[in-house]
Amino acid sequence: MIKGRFDDENLKWIPVLIIVVFLFPFLLKSATFSYKYYLYILNIAGIYIILTVGLDILSGFTGLMSLGHAAFLAIGAYTSAILVDQVGLPFELSLIITPIIVGLFGFVIGFPALRIEGMYLGLTTMGFGFIVKRLIIAFREWTGGSGGLHVSKATFFGITINNDWDNYFMIYTFAILAIIIARRIVKSKLGRAFMAIRDSEQAAQASGINLAKYKMMSFFISGMFAGFAGVLFAHTSHFISTDHFDILLSILFIVMVLVGGVGSIYGAVLGTLFIVLMENMFIPLFEDGMSQFVHLEAGDFQVFIFGLIMLIFIIFQPLGLYGMWLKMRIYWKIFPFNPRKRFN
Amino acid sequence: MSDLFSGLIQESISGIALGCIYALIALGFTLIYKATEVVNFAQGEIMMVGAYINFFFVTQFTGMVGGLNGWVFLAALFCSTIFAVLFGIVLDLIISRPLKDEPVFSIIMATISLAIILRSLTAMIAGPISLVPVSPFGDSTIKVGGIVISVLDLAIIISAIILMGIFFFFFNKTRWGIAMKATSEDSEAAQLMGIPVKNVYRMVWVFAAIVGVVSGVLLAPRMALLDTTMSYLGLKAFPAAILGGFGSIPGAVVGGIILGIIETVSMGTLSFHFEWIKEINDIIVWIVLIAVLMIRPDGLFGIAKVKRV
Repeated sequence: MIKGRFDDENLKWIPVLIIVVFLFPFLLKSATFSYKYYLYILNIAGIYIILTVGLDILSGFTGLMSLGHAAFLAIGAYTSAILVDQVGLPFELSLIITPIIVGLFGFVIGFPALRIEGMYLGLTTMGFGFIVKRLIIAFREWTGGSGGLHVSKATFFGITINNDWDNYFMIYTFAILAIIIARRIVKSKLGRAFMAIRDSEQAAQASGINLAKYKMMSFFISGMFAGFAGVLFAHTSHFISTDHFDILLSILFIVMVLVGGVGSIYGAVLGTLFIVLMENMFIPLFEDGMSQFVHLEAGDFQVFIFGLIMLIFIIFQPLGLYGMWLKMRIYWKIFPFNPRKRFN
Repeated sequence: MSDLFSGLIQESISGIALGCIYALIALGFTLIYKATEVVNFAQGEIMMVGAYINFFFVTQFTGMVGGLNGWVFLAALFCSTIFAVLFGIVLDLIISRPLKDEPVFSIIMATISLAIILRSLTAMIAGPISLVPVSPFGDSTIKVGGIVISVLDLAIIISAIILMGIFFFFFNKTRWGIAMKATSEDSEAAQLMGIPVKNVYRMVWVFAAIVGVVSGVLLAPRMALLDTTMSYLGLKAFPAAILGGFGSIPGAVVGGIILGIIETVSMGTLSFHFEWIKEINDIIVWIVLIAVLMIRPDGLFGIAKVKRV
């Protein structure tokens, strides 16, 4: 029997999930009047999902650390803004060209990655983040410097994407596409090579994997995802400035991947949703409760909670949310016969 | 021409003082890295906490004594050092113990999260208002042949030299220092030889906290304002450590001083003479970092590691 191409995946529930995703805004609209705000938050989550899925391929699957993914997002956003508004390319073309340009930047930063590893790579990418941020300000003729840049609305094959309602459908179409593509990459020869590199570089090299090629490839792919997210970010938020692409955002992306579970695509999605919803909905609620007793600066408290979440997950639950889900699933599958020690 | 020259020398001395701060921070994570192979991204935050704690003690003691004098600063420094010891023990309990056998990636992320927590906690407790730190030396300067040197810079350089001397002596001559060296070489073998590895780890963290706090105390008067952005200097010390060779104490010192000079000079004289340097002078350390990693990843003093499979 030849095994089918998709046999290893449980695809039955994916169409259901897609339908749920696209029906969700209608549900939200009938449920609450402030649905536009929730859609806005979900849109941010959708854009970040595209990026973190790419980051997961780089960090979770290839084991290369990146503390500069906000820079890739920034390059994507600014490139697309310049290409569409100043060069005059159509948005659809920018959707194809910009990720490739950002991927090439990933290629450039992947080049030192051939010689360095671990925390050196983290530092290099962090430095790359600082450099990119400064260079964007330096090229102020095109980017508007530190004052920021207004970006036009997206027109997708004649349809103008006007508000958060339209944005939602566009972003989540691409987000679902990104998840599916990432899943296929991870299950392919490429993905297996990435995982081999992550587990042991020497062993991977001994088995005939070209380290240089696959590491660069991983950076390229991750950069492309980030570039894609950048395009969507620029054209749905209509205003970009360098303040947004901070080092803290890069760390936040890593937190998303970590909280979700390193080395699983669905984990990255879960983690992103978790963090973005925390950031915009639960922490403000909690903060209101706290502010009756003590005076708090909004930003500091939020960052504090994220740091705490991250530390707790690293120490107590290194597999993340997806790992928790997997454990739970196994627990219920063999329910009355659980070995006692394994699930603590 | 002589104007340019004396300007360069003056900035170089100021740069050496800044470089000594970098070197002290770099020394902090070199210590931890040498013994535990953990890279501590929170060293800059430890420094910042130290500066805040010292400020707190100085204001408290000034209130008690009723005026500023030299003893106030000494007492504050003493109390800050005691705080640093406790702080180091706590950090060891939080970061080092639970994550002993985890992969590098998660330990780095743990120290980053610690950095975030420390920074936001400091901002929450001390409040968003920037504080104005007091210098024990005021604005006094020394003039040597047309070159003006601030006493504070001199004090920084001298105390950095003293601290580094102590650490060099400690690492090479004392029992505990040699135990630390052995632990960094191979922790299992060290344990078999009867070295209390856990205590060594705790000691390393305590030392790193002391170095961090002292560098914070030294740096604070150099800054016009005391706020949480001070911790970003800790990130800038990484290029210094890497330039010198990560894990080497003389490397940390030399790398720190070189970077300090490069940064100060490029911000001062050079930016008056070359227009384009203005655009890049706050990222120049990162450019140096990437260049070093591309050309010679082991740094000036580092030795290429042979990896066992």
